[in-house]
Order: sequence, then C-alpha cells, then structure tokens
Amino acid sequence: MKYMIMMFAGLGAATETRTPEWIAGMHELLMKLDGELREAGELVASERLLDPSLATTVRFRDGAPLPTDGPFAEVKESLAGYWLAEVSEERALEIASQVVAYTEYPMEVRRVMDMSSEL
Amino acid sequence: MVVGAVSADRRIEDLLRDLAPRVLGTLVRRHGQFDACEDAVQEALLAAAVRWPAEGVPDRPRAWLLTVAVRSLVDGWRGESARRRREASAVALDPAGRQPAHAEAAEHDDTLVLLFLCCHPALSPPSQLALTLRAVGGLTTAQVASAFLVPEAAMAKRVTRAKQRIRSAGARFELPPQPAWSERLGVVLHVLYLVFNEGYTASSGPELNRADLTAEAVRLTRLLHRLLPGEGEVAGLLALMLLTDARRAARTDADGSIVPLADQRRELWDTAAIAEGQALLTRTLGRGPVGPYQLQAAVAAVHDEALTAEETDWPQILALYDVLTQVAPGPLVTLSRAVALAMAHGPRAGLALLGTLDSDQRTANTHRVDAVRAHLLERAGDRAAAREYYLRAARKTASLPEQRYLALRAACLGQPSSPTDAAD
Repeated sequence: MKYMIMMFAGLGAATETRTPEWIAGMHELLMKLDGELREAGELVASERLLDPSLATTVRFRDGAPLPTDGPFAEVKESLAGYWLAEVSEERALEIASQVVAYTEYPMEVRRVMDMSSEL
Repeated sequence: MVVGAVSADRRIEDLLRDLAPRVLGTLVRRHGQFDACEDAVQEALLAAAVRWPAEGVPDRPRAWLLTVAVRSLVDGWRGESARRRREASAVALDPAGRQPAHAEAAEHDDTLVLLFLCCHPALSPPSQLALTLRAVGGLTTAQVASAFLVPEAAMAKRVTRAKQRIRSAGARFELPPQPAWSERLGVVLHVLYLVFNEGYTASSGPELNRADLTAEAVRLTRLLHRLLPGEGEVAGLLALMLLTDARRAARTDADGSIVPLADQRRELWDTAAIAEGQALLTRTLGRGPVGPYQLQAAVAAVHDEALTAEETDWPQILALYDVLTQVAPGPLVTLSRAVALAMAHGPRAGLALLGTLDSDQRTANTHRVDAVRAHLLERAGDRAAAREYYLRAARKTASLPEQRYLALRAACLGQPSSPTDAAD
C-alpha cells in the first residue's frame, strides 16, 4: 500500500522563531527518516514545495479561469512537502509520529488510491 | 578483487562514453536519420555495457559498436511499414554528402556537429541538456534520468520529443554557417554551463549522483576545447568550471550544509584543478576579445589565489566586474558587483548598488537579491533587518540546502548578540 505523509507550511513558519540548534536538529531528523525510507526501498517519491506565499491559485471568475497570487488555503494549511512511501499504515503513522514528536506540528497521513480492484 | 573489477568497469564506461559520439557521427553520416541512429547507438551502448565486462573488450571496440548499432538500425527499419519508411526518408536529415578526405578529421568534426545539433535552438534547455548528455556524453537514459531526478520513462519521452523537434525544424547534419556560428556556439556553451551548474548546486546525500554531472560537463567542455582551441570563450568556460569545481570538497560540510566561500577550509581545495584553470586562463586572456566566461573565470581565479578569505584581492574582483558590466550587463552581474563593492568599499556602498535592482522585474522572484542584502546588512551591523531579509530569501529559494543555510543564518541573528558577534 502507498501512503502519502504530508507536512504543512505552518511548520516552516514555526521554525522562524526557533534556535539554530533546533532547526539543525529538525533537518537531521528529516534526513535520517528520509535515508531510512530510501535504504529500505520504501520511498516512492519525496518532494519539498516552495513557500506557499509564492503560490498562484487559478480560480473560476466571471466565466473564465483567473490566476491570483497566493495559496488556496491559509498558508499554515498549505502543503509544504511529502513522502510517498510503499509501507503499512502502521509504519506511515510511525514515521509521522517521529516528526511530530520533535516539531510538535501536525502531519497528515493519507492512503493513495489504487488502480486495481480491492482484493 | 572487487576494486579491480570496479576500475575495469569504470574503464569500459569511459571507453564507451568516448566512443559514443564518434560511432553516432559515423552512423548519421552514412545513413542520415539522426533520430533512428541515436536510438541505435543507445542500443549498442547498452549491449556493450552488458557484454564487455563479461566477455572482455573486443579488439576493435568502435567497429563492434558500429556493427551492433547498424544491426539495430536495420531491425528498426524492417519493423516499420513501407509507408512509414517512405515518410521517414523524406524528412531524414540530409548527410552533408561531402566525404572528407581524412577519416580521422571527419570523426572529430562529427562530435562537434553532434554537439551543435543537440544544442539546437529549437529545443528547450532541459531537452538540450538531456540530448547532449545522451548523444554526445554517451550516458544511458536511466543515468540522465537519475541525474535530473525524473522518472526514466519521462526522460525517454523528453529525448524522443527533442529529436522529433530537431527533425521538424529541418536541421541538417552539418556545422552552422558563419553568420549563425557564434550565436550557436553561445548556445552550446550555455548548455554545458547549465549541465555544470546542475551538478554543482546539488548537495551530498541522496543526490550524490548529480555531482557526476559536473565531471561530465568538464569532460565535454574539455572535448570542445580540444576541437576549438582558438575559441577564447570555450577556454574561458573550461577554466571557469575547473576553478569553481576545485572548491567542491570545501563547499559543503559533513551533513550537506552549504559552507560560504569565506568560511571554507581552503586546504581542501583541489590545487591541481586550480593550476590547470589558471594556466588555461593565462594562455587565453589577451589573445582575442574577452567574453563573460573568461571574466568569470578570472574572478574565480582571484578567489582561488587567496590563501585566506581576508587576503582576497577585492579591488581586482571589482575591476573584473566593472569590465563584465560593460561586456555582458545583467542583474546577476550587478548583484555580484555589489558584493565586490561592499568588500572593497564597505557594506553601505554595496547596499546602495543593490537598491538599483529593486525595480528590476528580472530579479523580483529570485532569492538572490534578498540573500545578498541580508549578508550586507549583517556586515553593516543591522541585525534585525538582516534577519528579515534572510527569512525572505529562505522563503523564495527553490534549493533545499540554500533554504537551510538561509534559515540558519536568520535563526543565528534571532539569538541575543554574543560578545564575539559584537567584535566582528
């Protein structure tokens, strides 16, 4: 099963008031988890997104698509990055928990839909 | 022994990469159809990569590759319908026709022709890079894909699409004629520069394989310099790459974080690469018109000559940027000049020049102006403003290591000022 483990931009905003040691510790943890997922062959993809303040949202306005600056949701709720991993739900939750234990900032774990029918 | 096996494989790979463009050149000259020939050579390279390590390198490796590639080409033709074949030959690349008297010289010319073809202006830069690395560099699609961190299937599509574009643009398998020559050479140099940067700006860790792109860019630029020894900008680009890549070991620390030039452990710099770059530059400067690559290489050489950051000859770097501003003005040159100005005449002078970029749309969405402003504000002692610009730059950058570096600088300025900071 594939799960997407998601981080939100609020985490980035939260780091702005932290000490250099705290930030370094967070990167170390993320690198460690990333390395584990890679080593185990569980990682399908992982990406980080640019800050949502640089996002453009395309909306339907007056009968036509209209691009406007800024994210759709609040910056805090905007996707900041994700791991896509071939793991059990238990393992996905364990990964997310390790990050949350350090950052105290929420993560979301979602199962990826499958093309084949359920067995 | 494992080490022996690894180096034997490495030798085979080097040989294949060296032969790839020459075999392809010969094939296209004989049969036309760059598109199909490029696929055929790729097949032959894959076959050799599997068979040579097991069976040994054949006595005539080039002839072996050519034979396998021709067989693959013919198989491809047989597989197509007659209608498709007629279509293909109607739009096939026209081989120049003239049979050069000297076979050896023709071989070399073809590598150059290939390079110009892969860097065809009808292609987007990502396609130019991919095709150059595959057709001239002899990398497999899988290797190019992993270097650019995209799935192999996507990279295969990109290469196929690029070749279709070249065909529909009516490109011929010959060197561009004189009026277009300089401009086309400029594109080739830019592509090689992008390949280099793609590898150089990558950090360690999972992206380690991207560093190979730097070596590949140097190898291809070296090849181009051998083919065009009289072109000052080719020599300049090679020197720039050597003088920049010489600092690679000092550029990131153990955990992959960026170490700025001023804080690098200079004993880690590659002195052989520096010496080669300097010698190349000395031979080149003053021989012909000076271009942007030569000037950037000269700046890199001044940095590399300084045994400590404090010994850097900033007035000379400023003078070089003054010339660069004349030769090839642009916002990034202004940015670099602002740094040199700050180092030579104080941070306020640099900040004043940076102010001229505020209304420049070309730099509005890059993090670089904010990052440089943050550095200069920090040097000027304005910690609060410096912190704000570091954070701004961190939000704008698309590079993860750079984002970490900028966020850390901001966090350091968020701390109460320590006595050592005050003394700085």
